[in-house]
Amino acid sequence: MSFGYVLRRLLSAIPLLLGISVILFAIIHLAPGGPLDMYTENPAVSKEALAQISAAYGLDQPVPIQYLLWLKSMVVGDWGYSIRTGRPVLTEIVLRLGPTLELGGLALIISLIIAIPLGIISASRRGSKLDSSLTLASFAGISIPVFWLALLLQLLFSVQLGWLPSAGYKSIGGGDFLDRLRHIVMPAAVLSLATVASWSRFIRSGMIDVLNQDYIRTAYAKGRSERGVVILHALRNAMIPAVTVIAVDFATVISGAVITETVFAWPGIGRLFMESMDGRDYPMLMGLMMMGSLGIIIANIIADLAYASLDPRIRYG
Amino acid sequence: MTIKLTRRAALQGMLAGTAVLTTMRAFPAWAQAPGGTLIVGLTYEIDTMNPYSTGFLGDAQAAVIEGLIAPDKDAVYVPVLATEVPSLENGGIVVSDDGKTMQITYKLREGVKWHDGEPFTSADVKYTWEAVKDPAFIAESKDGSSEVESIDIPDDYTVIVNYNTITPTFAATLFTFGIMPKHLLEGTDLNTSSYNETPVGTGPFKVKEFVRGQYVETVRNDDYWRTAENGDKLPYLDSIIFKMIPDTNTLITQLKSGEVTMVVSTPYSQASQVQGIEGIEIVQGPQLSWQHLDFNFKRPSLADLNVRKAIAMAIDREVIIRAQGGFPKAIKSPVVPVFDFYDDSTPVLAYDVAAANALLDESGYVAGSDGIREKDGERLSYAFMVQSGRADDELAQQVIIAQLKAIGIEATANNQTGVAYREARYKGGYDLIYGRWITSANPVYHDFWGTGGANNGQSYSNPELDAAMAEFENTLDPAERKVAASKFQAILAEDLPTISLVNNVALIAKTTKLKNFVPNPTNMTNFVDTSAWYME
Repeated sequence: MSFGYVLRRLLSAIPLLLGISVILFAIIHLAPGGPLDMYTENPAVSKEALAQISAAYGLDQPVPIQYLLWLKSMVVGDWGYSIRTGRPVLTEIVLRLGPTLELGGLALIISLIIAIPLGIISASRRGSKLDSSLTLASFAGISIPVFWLALLLQLLFSVQLGWLPSAGYKSIGGGDFLDRLRHIVMPAAVLSLATVASWSRFIRSGMIDVLNQDYIRTAYAKGRSERGVVILHALRNAMIPAVTVIAVDFATVISGAVITETVFAWPGIGRLFMESMDGRDYPMLMGLMMMGSLGIIIANIIADLAYASLDPRIRYG
Repeated sequence: MTIKLTRRAALQGMLAGTAVLTTMRAFPAWAQAPGGTLIVGLTYEIDTMNPYSTGFLGDAQAAVIEGLIAPDKDAVYVPVLATEVPSLENGGIVVSDDGKTMQITYKLREGVKWHDGEPFTSADVKYTWEAVKDPAFIAESKDGSSEVESIDIPDDYTVIVNYNTITPTFAATLFTFGIMPKHLLEGTDLNTSSYNETPVGTGPFKVKEFVRGQYVETVRNDDYWRTAENGDKLPYLDSIIFKMIPDTNTLITQLKSGEVTMVVSTPYSQASQVQGIEGIEIVQGPQLSWQHLDFNFKRPSLADLNVRKAIAMAIDREVIIRAQGGFPKAIKSPVVPVFDFYDDSTPVLAYDVAAANALLDESGYVAGSDGIREKDGERLSYAFMVQSGRADDELAQQVIIAQLKAIGIEATANNQTGVAYREARYKGGYDLIYGRWITSANPVYHDFWGTGGANNGQSYSNPELDAAMAEFENTLDPAERKVAASKFQAILAEDLPTISLVNNVALIAKTTKLKNFVPNPTNMTNFVDTSAWYME
């Protein structure tokens, strides 16, 4: 692992991002509708006003020209202006990134804390009743629709018990730590459910693979306790396949959780994406998707580096 | 003496009844103690607080920013920052001798203060026109600004607006959306101004905090100019909070848990759930939008009045209404009953399948082996378009398809989304189209059915109708306008380029503690006059 390797990977990401941007730009413009559609049912909006807005955002140009204009300003760090709010795209994204990172980050930490022990227990008690019930619970966790679970939790904790606010990032005028904690509990729980379920599966299968290896038998033969074998010898190797999944899941955090954020009225990137999609806010969508793509590329580099540190046989030069 | 109880008279009776109730309730002074917070749930994200550049109808904006005049609960304009609504009778509108231009004079209310304490004057009105007209300001609602030639402000409380044309619709545009404070905004860039987040207005509530994607908190304006009839200072409420909750299920949950105490657009499908919530009631408010079935006159059979008549008689509005929870109201004219120029004597063809079939038989449309009629080689088989994704419209479409089948007409769903739908609608890429139109409180109709009208994708042209609509849209005298309106309503009902089916209804869920609330059907929203609302 070297600095040179990372640099080369980052440089090779540039043509990749360029390619992605062309495809995304094309797809966005192929989708029916346009940014000005939202005004067409408003009787107060005249054709002249629409033409003026269209010109102001360059929407009257041919799509390839629009792309080149977008690219030109992107290169110098100008992300453009949101058509919906008229504010700079970067300002809007930064504003929403905080709540999204808080929610996604907390959900991932919860997931790690729960998924790793669950995976280990399942694998070392393979075939037991405990393993079967955890397997069943995992599939349930993956299959339960987020909006449905969210609704149930809201009805229980907000309507019936009145313990937690059903949605939102903070109370009106409030926003101290405890207030925000009360708001984040339910969305974080909902968001971590599916990741816990899928990660514990990956860790379980990784563990089972490793536990069948010769060196594990050797370790047992040397008189190591089961606990020692699993934690010291097996876990590190078993994590390699799981790391890929976890790294990519970490990367998708910055794209926001669209459904969870919408259901819990969480002011994050996912909701910004939905609003921008509904309004066909092209500059905003491009900004969000480019940021998401960059996140995934970086996460993959980190995952590759993590392999090397987990497995001494892997070396990048 | 015979009393003829028309529906309009009945409606007026109901309104009078409500007025009596409200007045009676208004007398006990203890009932209207100031205080209380109303929490409104909105399903959209407020983009900007500037009423001229927002892409939505400005709910929160209306509580903060006032215009010179505003439409009331019956869509009739009443004075706000002006002391009266200019008209020909009161001399507020003067038409030039050649009849081509007009001059409108507003007398402004004295003693009104901006939220920052500065006095509101005629200079603010003039500035608002200049700011909205400025091409550098990117805004949707610039309507009415280009028709103004110049504005004179002889003193602080007189505004003389010189128009370069005659526009009876002046009330629906420029100064009604809101007046902007010159002393704060002159020389600033309105596209990036902080006015878009925390606007300074003259309204009963002022913006305390706008948190993007979350809420707008407004608090009482202690220096508000309006007082109640009993002398109470207004507004009564301490605060109105507008929360942005994109998911309607979550919104209903928030009503249940008391985190939200008002929802202005309850979906028809969730009304019964909301009605079961303790402490929440649903108020039905009229809306200016209506559902219509239109024909494409390029199809020879649809250009035949007898076929259009038969279709009109084959559609049972009651079934369409029942399919939508029973909330929409049957109508017979595109002029919805809220308007005073709605003509209740507009003829309507009653639901009568037998008569419809007989009419088609007489006109020579013979059923083929599959039951579908045809004449001169043209089968009565139509491409039927609604906007896909609109559940209510798709449901109504299925009802209409089934009803048309009963008279030997085949309609096949050919639904489109977004721009494709809009293009087809404007260019006539359909045989039948079912959809929704909405007008402002000062409506024009020639766009829909006038020859070459911007929204007329039907290739429909009727000089007689054009003349009646032109008369309606270029006349300032209310009595003459009413006569012209009756004329074009009758023509539309008899020539049937469109079948007006139902008038949409707004379902407003609110806490039963909130009193004095009156729904407003116009694009100025329910929050256009919030000052008299109070919590019990």
